Amino acid sequence: MFKLNLKIAWRNLWKNKVYAAINIGGLALGLTAFVLMLLYINYEKSYDSWSPELKNVYQIREKHDFFTPDNKEHWQEISNSRIAGIIKESVPQFTAVTKIDQEWGNGFSVKIDHADPVMVKGIKDADSAFFNVFPYQFIQGTAANALKEPNTVVIKQSLANKLYGTDHVLGKEFKLVRWRDDTGNSLKITGVIADVNTPESIQFNAVSHTGDQDHDPDQIGSSHYTQIYAKSEGDIDTLSANKSLQKVYVDFKKKSFAAEKLNFKDVYKDGKSPGLKAISLKDVHPNPPFSLNWLDKLKPVIGISIFLLVVSIINFINLATAQSVQRAKEVGVKKVLGAYKKQLILQFLIESTLQSISALFLSVILIEILLPAFNHQFNITLSFWHNEYLFSIVLQLIAVFIVVTLLAGCYPAWILSNYNPVSVLKGNYGNSLKGITLRNVLVIFQFIISVTFIIAIGVMHLQTKYISGKDLGFDRDKLINLRTGYDQNFADKIRRIPGVQYVSTTTQVMGNAFNNKSKIIYKGREVNLNGVTVTMDALQTLGVKLVSGRLFAKEYVQDTINSVVLNEAAAGLLGKNMVGQTYGKVDYQGKTITFQVVGVIKNYHNEGFDKAVLPTVYKVSHLGGTSNTNNLLVRFDTKNYKGVINKIEGEWKKLYPDFPFQYQSMDDAFSEILEENKRFMNMVVLFSVVSVSLSLLGLFALSTFVAKRRTKEIAVRKVLGASNFQIVNLLNKSFLILVVTANLISWPIAYILVKKWLEGFAYRIDLPLYPFLLSSIISIVIAVLTVSIQARKTAIAEPVAALKYE
Amino acid sequence: MIQLTNIEKYYANKGVKNYVLRLVTTTINQGEFVSIMGPSGAGKSTLLNIIGMLEEPTYGTYHFMGEDVTSLSERKRIELYRNHIGFVFQAYHLIDEMTVYENIEAPLLYKKVGSAERASRIADLLDRFNIVAKKDLFPNQLSGGQQQLVGIARALAAQPSIILADEPTGNLQSAQAEEIMSLFKKLNEEEGITIIQVTHSEKNAQYGNRILHIADGVVKEDVAVLS
Repeated sequence: MFKLNLKIAWRNLWKNKVYAAINIGGLALGLTAFVLMLLYINYEKSYDSWSPELKNVYQIREKHDFFTPDNKEHWQEISNSRIAGIIKESVPQFTAVTKIDQEWGNGFSVKIDHADPVMVKGIKDADSAFFNVFPYQFIQGTAANALKEPNTVVIKQSLANKLYGTDHVLGKEFKLVRWRDDTGNSLKITGVIADVNTPESIQFNAVSHTGDQDHDPDQIGSSHYTQIYAKSEGDIDTLSANKSLQKVYVDFKKKSFAAEKLNFKDVYKDGKSPGLKAISLKDVHPNPPFSLNWLDKLKPVIGISIFLLVVSIINFINLATAQSVQRAKEVGVKKVLGAYKKQLILQFLIESTLQSISALFLSVILIEILLPAFNHQFNITLSFWHNEYLFSIVLQLIAVFIVVTLLAGCYPAWILSNYNPVSVLKGNYGNSLKGITLRNVLVIFQFIISVTFIIAIGVMHLQTKYISGKDLGFDRDKLINLRTGYDQNFADKIRRIPGVQYVSTTTQVMGNAFNNKSKIIYKGREVNLNGVTVTMDALQTLGVKLVSGRLFAKEYVQDTINSVVLNEAAAGLLGKNMVGQTYGKVDYQGKTITFQVVGVIKNYHNEGFDKAVLPTVYKVSHLGGTSNTNNLLVRFDTKNYKGVINKIEGEWKKLYPDFPFQYQSMDDAFSEILEENKRFMNMVVLFSVVSVSLSLLGLFALSTFVAKRRTKEIAVRKVLGASNFQIVNLLNKSFLILVVTANLISWPIAYILVKKWLEGFAYRIDLPLYPFLLSSIISIVIAVLTVSIQARKTAIAEPVAALKYE
Repeated sequence: MIQLTNIEKYYANKGVKNYVLRLVTTTINQGEFVSIMGPSGAGKSTLLNIIGMLEEPTYGTYHFMGEDVTSLSERKRIELYRNHIGFVFQAYHLIDEMTVYENIEAPLLYKKVGSAERASRIADLLDRFNIVAKKDLFPNQLSGGQQQLVGIARALAAQPSIILADEPTGNLQSAQAEEIMSLFKKLNEEEGITIIQVTHSEKNAQYGNRILHIADGVVKEDVAVLS
């Protein structure tokens, strides 16, 4: 029987190829979105799980308010380096403690012998205990001896291969240069460790032991903040360990306050309190100190993908029940031949299993195709077949599959097996429109979501077009940023290269903006402005537009002392005709210095379009100002500046042979700013494609269902003289009402959502009407097309066939 | 074999009872070939459905092979279908997705007949009805008469003691109809299978040995056919 049923199932699928394809395709789509999300969750959950020994590794978190975005206390990943020593001495639960320095800058320069230096990211400086805490597997060298001596480094196999082309690198040395004119450390490679196969919360390519982390700052008043990790021998009671940590921390704080002549109570007031705790390594990734954790961030996406899966299941059910009419006779006959209802239910469940298996396969294929794009989108490396947790993922897939199959198969199976043989065999079945309201509501619901998505895409597209075409207020063509400090000697040298028009620095440029608050007093009123320090020709370099007055120039001696330029935002804040006006500023000694405004420039953008251009005052310092923020701008006067850059690189190599030459064009900086927005938009596009396809499937299912149910009515109408066109219209009308209703509901929803999104931009378009109109037209047109396919089929059918049994 | 006592069937509509069958009492013995005749709407099919346990009477008792089957559990009824009753329909009602062979095989599968036995029985039936060459075709590739032959072969596969046929030749041309009726007669005479058919045609009724005339739900006449 089973074999025969399988055969029947196959023949039925084949006979109804289009439906089967739609049904399976829809389910596969929903499954794909869901499984991608499942993979993502698995990825996030796999953080720091590369070794079972990691369960004994803890991160130490100190509660403090340094380096916080809101100046409030947080449990932070970086702690006072002295704590490591204290834990080693006084908390016996932890047998090994290591300090890891924070990484700073854009990677370090690695120079091997006389080769060109290369930038390497993820070189962490630690003390000698790093491998006592982390159980990395050594391919070369040993965990016990690797970092014993200062000026040693252990590198990952992948980095060894990248740098040397082999992992037999034990004993080799390279020079680590951390900034342009750092003298550098020569490090000896004392170990090579295997790369791990799960993501890590401490990402690194190499661990160096320069010796810097071996001692704490001498003065009690100054502190060094590092990450601290500790390891226990076997399971420990975290609660009691944390109690000991808290106790030694308070003791340490009291002692150091006494040395600094501070009062414990004075420091810890207003709700502040000292705190030190250890959290298990597996809890590090799910609990970032400042931002939302990944699960909270992902919640809306999880919600949407579950919803899409449910929608695809509902569509599956709809189509299956609509199709079930065809199978009614089979059910009736089988019943009089002596089939139990149970057997029939089983048969139809097997059939839907067959379909969902195909859907599953299809979705696995889709996932394989989509994963590279998905990885690129979210900047992660997910894989399906090569997943470390393939087994558990497959188990989850099977679970999803069973749930989906049962959900999708049970109802149609139940409906089918309930057919009454007498009425079925008499030929009158499936004429009831029972359950049509629910189906209508579901279709409306699906269309609301689709239309909202389409509107969102339309508005996002317009806004994206607006910002990418927006005048930035400066000329980003032929302009590069060397991302290094200003050095007069170097600047002079490259100024002499033909093709170079300006060389200058500023603390604020697109891609690297440093905002520095500056309080001024103008006509007795205190105004907060953003202070930017520039070199004499920085504004010319940027190509900003002058509104009134003049830019800084060498001819004016006072320009290096007390001349300022305002942007329009600042000028607007202060008053009209600002050129020539003066204002006062109190310096750190309490004296008031007077500044004179010599020019007003148009606002120019330094950051994303979500932020308004700050009211800014520009001051000259011939050295690039008090804050050197690693910008060295070079403007060219020729389009073909590639060769000029090579010449600059030549000068750079002469001066800084140990640090690679890096630059970013302003065009790239601008694209980077647009990147995040683009990603978000891509995600919306992805979801809307899935959602629109699903709602079309839903509509198709419903129109099939209704057309089937109304076959007799249509036949009678035809006999009475209705034309095919009239009949297609008749069917279309009932669906148009649904789609129009969905449109009416989705307009206000889309309006609210899109408006909220637009409000995130300081520079935005006025909410346009035509994405709304367009999405309505699109949804109506595709709905009519979808329904017409089905309606036409019914309309051109011979009425006799439908009326035969009556 | 079949004993109907005071069978009534009516549909209540707004307090008014619409009778389909009124006080039908009759006995049909093993080996009889009974034709139920009457004008449209007389209740012929309803009577056949009640005999076939597809419908339940509103009133009255029904004994099938000495057992009261007036209201039977689904399980018991299905057992009867599997072992004792074969249906033949006017519209054949073959399963479209199954080949001729598979259609005939289906009741045997439900009856859990072993595969060797199944194969031999089907081969026998195909042979008897001269449809061996058609065994791998699907119903829509056959003529009406051929389809009905398959329908009868399917009904016979489970070796029932009774065949219930609702206008078995209603959709057929007269030559084919004659063929089917002779087949029924032969089955009845040679194998002793009880046959009850509903028919409009006096000619078809003559193949049997008893006619029940029904009008307005009442058995008007119960006559034997003289051969």
